[in-house]
Amino acid sequence: MSSLAHLEKKKTLFFPSVRDIFKFYFFLGLNSRRSRLFLLSSIVPIVIAAIFKGSQILYGQPRFSGLFIYSNMIMMFFLHFLILIMTLFFGSSVCREEVDGSTLPYLVTRPLHKMAFIVGKYAASTLLVGLTVTFSLAICFLILNLTQLGEGGIYKVLARDAGVLFLGVMSYMALFTFLGIILKKAIFFGLLFSFGWENIIQYFPGQTQRFAVVHYLKSLLPAMTQEGFPFLLFRLEPTPLAQSILTLLGIVIFFLGLSCALYAWKEFIIDSK
Amino acid sequence: MNPVVETKNLSKYYGNVLGLSDVSVEIHPGVVGLLGPNGAGKSTFLKLITGQLKPSLGQVCVFGQKIWNNPQLFADIGYCPETDAFFEDLSGWQFLTWMLQLHHFSACQAEEKANEVLGFLHLAEDKDRLIRSYSRGMRQRLKIAQAIAHDPQLIILDEPLNGLDPLGRRKVIKYIRKMGEEGRTVIVSSHVLPEIEAMTKKIILIHQGKIFASGNIHYIRELIDSHPHIISIKCNQVRDLAAALIKAEEVIKVFFTPDPQEVQIETRQRDVFFDRLQKLILELDLNVEAITSPDDNLQAVFDYLIGEK
Repeated sequence: MSSLAHLEKKKTLFFPSVRDIFKFYFFLGLNSRRSRLFLLSSIVPIVIAAIFKGSQILYGQPRFSGLFIYSNMIMMFFLHFLILIMTLFFGSSVCREEVDGSTLPYLVTRPLHKMAFIVGKYAASTLLVGLTVTFSLAICFLILNLTQLGEGGIYKVLARDAGVLFLGVMSYMALFTFLGIILKKAIFFGLLFSFGWENIIQYFPGQTQRFAVVHYLKSLLPAMTQEGFPFLLFRLEPTPLAQSILTLLGIVIFFLGLSCALYAWKEFIIDSK
Repeated sequence: MNPVVETKNLSKYYGNVLGLSDVSVEIHPGVVGLLGPNGAGKSTFLKLITGQLKPSLGQVCVFGQKIWNNPQLFADIGYCPETDAFFEDLSGWQFLTWMLQLHHFSACQAEEKANEVLGFLHLAEDKDRLIRSYSRGMRQRLKIAQAIAHDPQLIILDEPLNGLDPLGRRKVIKYIRKMGEEGRTVIVSSHVLPEIEAMTKKIILIHQGKIFASGNIHYIRELIDSHPHIISIKCNQVRDLAAALIKAEEVIKVFFTPDPQEVQIETRQRDVFFDRLQKLILELDLNVEAITSPDDNLQAVFDYLIGEK
């Protein structure tokens, strides 16, 4: 008969549990319809970049440089749309899809550290979204800077931007993971937050804009010239680089920690049928 | 000997709704049948002893330890949920190997074990098909496979025979009995008495969130057999059959239904009655179309027993 002594040998460790959960969900993610759909949506900025570049080539000297268009695309498309929508759907489903799909019993009846489920699935989702966004960003970058690809310095810009977007993915994913655990309609509230709060609050003057995650992401990018956006009354008042990075990491740790604690404490009632 | 599963004054409320009330049981190695009508609290009980739900009151210990937030215990527990839910984008084989890897088996060990179990449950040929294309019976077998593949000491099966074909049922019943004989603890829930009878003699009757009776199935059978059963027979000579049965001591009532080919009999001694019926069928050369027991469902039996107690 099983005894406590033999169970001692099988103590559930946190990191092996995270590793196993991560591997499982990364594999699931690679094969899921949702990932394919978002991979397709990440092609949209590539198409836009190709159209810009194509028109430059066809109609001669451009009004804006490739780097300028690229910087604006990061702001307008990646920061304000793509990473928000992708992290919202992946993050809010970290826990919710297992509850709604009644697959949670398969996971909670395995010898896995309870909090490791959240961390492992969060990590898998973050990597999937991060890779998709980086792929799209890199292709856009290459297309828009086609004539400057020989200059070694410009790749530093790509690396910096990919890093900023990855930090953004990590932060939003943690936030939406938390929303998915506490709310049944996390997508609805996530959309309100993403396209309401995040888009409006950043244009407020003074300290108010610091209540938006996107403010810290923008602070990590060089200040954009405003010539394309003369209608803006309020300008970004950037937070120092180190403070922005620490704040974003703080958001990740805070919401991920809260999600783990809540998941371990909460019981999820699965409908029988 | 310490019980494998022990609950003390266990209660569970879903808001104001009672799920389980003051349940104290000890479950030892062997097969134990958890029997009760739909909504009786069987699944709630199983979810509590697998740590999926937190007790509102009382406590649950498995292998001598509290189960809530104690995942290391699951190295030796296999659970087959009642819900028909899967990661539909995976094949049966992928699902099973991943579930085994979540038990910290290496990829090679997981593949070996998965092949073995899938072969045993007749899923080997379809193992590479996506789960979404599986039939109900195949999905049920896959659920059982993930519960037993890691060779656990405690196996908890929530309505495992649902959706299985007769051959599959027989095979699973045989396997459950074998696991009990090997000294493992198997807890099986069902709302079908004959299914449980085929697996074990140890039974827990659960009704309206309470343990109604527990013990040897013969005792339960006696309780159930004291319940007058109605048996319906459809045949070509109902009046001849009725005339013969009215003389039998074990028959309480004989009555006809609007269907001219049907007669219903009420009896307290089901086994004696069926012996007699077999003989009469031969003697009278009856062409029997159907023999059914309209109230032979657990709810009717429970209603009767509760009224009697």
